[in-house]
Amino acid sequence: MSKEQSERRALGVLRMSDDWNYSMNGETVCNGLWIDPRTKIVILLLCVLSATMAPSMRYEMLLVLLIACFGIACRKVRYSIIGALVYAAVYFVTIAALKTHGSVQVMLVAFLGLVHKVYPCGILSGIIISTTKVGEFLSAMNRSHASRKIVIPVAVMLRYIPTVREDWRFIKDAMKMRDISPSLKSFLMHPGMTIECIYVPLMMAASKTADELTVASVTRGIENPKTRTSIVQIGFGIWDAVVTVCFLALFLVGQFCKGVF
Amino acid sequence: MTTQSSYLDKKGLTMKDLVTIGIFTALFFVFELVGSLPFAPNPALTFYQPFGIALLCGPVFLLMVAKVPKRGTIAILGIINGIVWFALGMHWGMDLGYIIMGIAAEIVAGMKGYKNIKWNIAAYSLFCLGPAGVFVAYFFNPTAWAQTMLEKGTAQEYIDTMTATAPTGMLPLILLGTVIIAVISGLVGKKLLKKQFERAGVTEASL
Repeated sequence: MSKEQSERRALGVLRMSDDWNYSMNGETVCNGLWIDPRTKIVILLLCVLSATMAPSMRYEMLLVLLIACFGIACRKVRYSIIGALVYAAVYFVTIAALKTHGSVQVMLVAFLGLVHKVYPCGILSGIIISTTKVGEFLSAMNRSHASRKIVIPVAVMLRYIPTVREDWRFIKDAMKMRDISPSLKSFLMHPGMTIECIYVPLMMAASKTADELTVASVTRGIENPKTRTSIVQIGFGIWDAVVTVCFLALFLVGQFCKGVF
Repeated sequence: MTTQSSYLDKKGLTMKDLVTIGIFTALFFVFELVGSLPFAPNPALTFYQPFGIALLCGPVFLLMVAKVPKRGTIAILGIINGIVWFALGMHWGMDLGYIIMGIAAEIVAGMKGYKNIKWNIAAYSLFCLGPAGVFVAYFFNPTAWAQTMLEKGTAQEYIDTMTATAPTGMLPLILLGTVIIAVISGLVGKKLLKKQFERAGVTEASL
């Protein structure tokens, strides 16, 4: 996060339009392969299906490699390589875990099963979230006629999560003055006080922000019944097709050519 | 807020309600993350992850319902949670669980018009069963779960151990434990709401 950006955050003011150019996790988006947010949702869905119905671990390795290639194309080189290497480590741990016996094996297999089902989707969604601008996402949601009852809360939520982190730092400082810290020890010493000191400021801040943000967004015309226009241009291109076909092909291969793996 | 008076007459969810839901969903999500952090990466404890979620989110849930006591609030919370966890790559059992339990909780809280705190706590404990969806999927068919990892030979041994040690008692334990912890969290939330938020005028005193 750049210094300027964190300073702006530190003001504690929610100015949604300022952050239109940043991705959903608050980083600046680098230039790389650009694909439509709707395509990203489709490939995530394909990835979940492939991971859930994967015929073998070798197939999942292939899936992770494909995701890593996609990540590298999106200029997330370091993230993708580390992700693939960690998966390779998990792969070998799993092989070792299968050699154990008894209830330890049951426990490990159950846990690693979850890891294998979740890991490819998790790494893909990491790439997607850090390469999608909030403005693009909203624009895409509007184009696909998603209900405003879902889109508005999601947009507010995405924008508010970094602010919670920011607030939390201030709250921790304020707690120190009362000799309370958000730790297990302090919780055991004075449970009531600790719970109050964590929840009350966070929830007070939240309900105040909700009021302010409503006024701000109504002023900006969020209640306008006309179709929303956006400065961000989105649309499908050739690369959307290429990426979708890649993921679809891998999914189909996993389903119909199980013998290969 | 005098500026909102014209919206207050409106039935259904207003813009203010939607923004409030968004903000509280964010807070809910943060507490969920914090709650599941000590559980999820630990092989022995993964299965108790719903406990962590149930323990921390009660006050947030109750304050949200107290602020927006209207049809659709809890269902939207459930749907957004499902979408976000899906986007983060979680297992589909959890995503579907959130949506289904969100709607179930909505119906329970709606029976008393979202104003009765006991029914709201009941709705919250139902909602907390959502993340246990993954484990329901696991216990439904534990062999299919591990299929991808198992090669010939180990598979039989695994199935044998599975049937021998048979943690069938674990699923009810997880579900029951989640409900109990959710009720405790709800009671703490009720106390907080009474002591702090009503007095500050954040919520109406009709709880």
